[in-house]
Amino acid sequence: MAKPTSLKLHTKQNIVGWAFVIPASILIFTFFFYPIGKAFLLSFQTGFGANAQYAGLVNYKRLLSDNTFKTSLVNVLTFLVLQVPVMLLLALALAYTLNDHKLKFRALFRTALFLPCATSLVSYSIVFRSLFALDGFMNALLLNLNVIQSPINWLANPWTAKLVIMLALTWRWTGYNMIFFLSALQNIDRSIFEAAIIDGANGFNRFFKITIPMLKPIILLTAIMSTNGTLQLFDETVNITNGGPTNATLSISQYIYRLSFQYSPRFPYAAAMSFVVFVLVGILSAMQMRVGDKR
Amino acid sequence: MRKRLSLLLVCVLAFGLLGSSVALANKTVTVWAWDPAFNLYAMEEAAKIYNRTAPDVTIEIIETPWDDIQTRLTTAVMAGQTNSLPDIMLIQDNALMKNVIDFPGTFADLTNSGIDFNLFADFKVGLTSVDGKNYAVPFDNGAAISALRVDVLEQAGFTLADFTDITWSDFIAKGKVVLEKTGKPLLSIVAESPDLVMMCLQSAGTWLFDEDGEVFLANNEALKEVIRIYVELAKSGVMVQVNDWEQYISSFTRGTVAGTMNGCWIIGSIVQPEDQKGLWSVTNIPRLETVPNATNYSNQGGSSWVVRADSPNRDLAIDFLAKTFAGSVELYETILPSSGALATYLPAGDSQAYGVPHEYFGGQAIYADITQYAALVPQVKYGVYNYEARDAVGVAIAKVLAGLDIDSALREAEETVKFLMDF
Repeated sequence: MAKPTSLKLHTKQNIVGWAFVIPASILIFTFFFYPIGKAFLLSFQTGFGANAQYAGLVNYKRLLSDNTFKTSLVNVLTFLVLQVPVMLLLALALAYTLNDHKLKFRALFRTALFLPCATSLVSYSIVFRSLFALDGFMNALLLNLNVIQSPINWLANPWTAKLVIMLALTWRWTGYNMIFFLSALQNIDRSIFEAAIIDGANGFNRFFKITIPMLKPIILLTAIMSTNGTLQLFDETVNITNGGPTNATLSISQYIYRLSFQYSPRFPYAAAMSFVVFVLVGILSAMQMRVGDKR
Repeated sequence: MRKRLSLLLVCVLAFGLLGSSVALANKTVTVWAWDPAFNLYAMEEAAKIYNRTAPDVTIEIIETPWDDIQTRLTTAVMAGQTNSLPDIMLIQDNALMKNVIDFPGTFADLTNSGIDFNLFADFKVGLTSVDGKNYAVPFDNGAAISALRVDVLEQAGFTLADFTDITWSDFIAKGKVVLEKTGKPLLSIVAESPDLVMMCLQSAGTWLFDEDGEVFLANNEALKEVIRIYVELAKSGVMVQVNDWEQYISSFTRGTVAGTMNGCWIIGSIVQPEDQKGLWSVTNIPRLETVPNATNYSNQGGSSWVVRADSPNRDLAIDFLAKTFAGSVELYETILPSSGALATYLPAGDSQAYGVPHEYFGGQAIYADITQYAALVPQVKYGVYNYEARDAVGVAIAKVLAGLDIDSALREAEETVKFLMDF
């Protein structure tokens, strides 16, 4: 008597489970995976609309000789190499400091550091643009402090423009990564540290021998997310520099946007470009997993 | 509970159906346009005029920024969902040819629609037609003006006449004197925005593409001359470069720069600060001296109305445009004083409203003057790859300013554009 009921219950639970999963899955498949598949097919075509034809790897070959694409690729890789490590180290250091139980006003500092993440990408970019304008706040500040003799045209010089973008990215995303580190730090059992102190480990050793190894999965997660975000950079460069000067801050996403909507539309070529980004994210993540994840 | 919910659902559905059937009985023409003070205002006034004779037609105006119109248009056409587009759209002139050629059949051919295109300024009809067919009802005038602060010129010992019908080298020489005596540059420009360059090119009747639509940068002597002028303007300090549009506007509204050169729609921004009332004047732009056929007249910006070809309201939409933007002097008289929306509809130019002196410009009848300029603007074809070429020229200018020679910079630019055209 008991057996059939439990089987029935099991099937019932199964049905309920599937009922919960299916609507979301259908939505994800239709609006996420289906377009990705379509875009992949599109990237092998030429022409557009009803006249599109399959043309093999033409679009991918074309990428190799596209100087603007190479410029944009170098730009985002520069941001990736220079900005992401600095930001993650900063986030880690801040999280470590704010995890100190003796620190006063911890909640206030945490909120203050996380607050940038609550601002819209476009609005903070516009604020940064005006901060670094020729007659903006930064120049006024530096002039008044006598650090510089004449105003710096930040956004007109390729390297200072890149610097402003990186500063903006750091301001916006450090707090976001810090929260991940902070929650991970709080999950580390305090008794481990106590044991280490009894064993005579100094602060330096505790940080590098205990905290860092324990945080490894989270460091990996934030590194992959930041890599992904940087390769898809769009809002900041569009709104702060619009890709200038001389394409020095042009991101791949902005080039894709230009090719799709500002220039004569080249959807297949733009799709091919986005798949290159996709593959790059995949490769970089795989590399980070190999280096970072030794479980 | 469930019953009640389904009842509610049925009610909502029935109401929705009812709503849509009401909308069908009462014809609605939808319009996408940007800029509430200018284009949307003009559309609203046009709707009022049209409703006098056709009270059962509703003109539904939806504010849509230009970038969004372009994005939605491209997406809708690519996806074959043109029914998501409105009946009438405002299109930037510099993107019109591109959209007409890239999306054949999307826009209604207005050539034999009863609209008389001879009544519009020549250059504007040139911009809105492709292969001899008219695809848009021309709207606002982008005739180029040189607006200058007369009080600043006087401090340096000049009058407006010294800046009228002059050449660029004249302008730079006098600009240097003004800068020296008053400390004020005469021009400001958004860095890497090639607007000024394009304006100068059109003043000589040339463009970034030749008659066959081939890219024309590396051997374009007019363009080289313009870039030389640009560099001299920038290096001499007669023109300052700023980083964005807001800074550009504030450079002359705050009075740090004593003039500006742009399409005449810039007047709307010039007249903002009360304390500069009566200090401004408008004249034509300098001409290129070494280039044959160079004039003191050009165009910058401007937009036109297109009708969706497969719209069920197509004929109604065309009728609406024909009776308002292409047939009502009254409309242009109404919108001129408050928005400064200057027409390219020539019969409106004879109207009394255009001869009225403008207080802000020391009593100068600027609208009459600008209408005269508009008639003299050389015709060019912006072409399908206009945006590609603009961006490339912008980069070339920045490289020249950073020290690269003009020939190499333009060769690079030409290669970039050729690459983007070669698909």
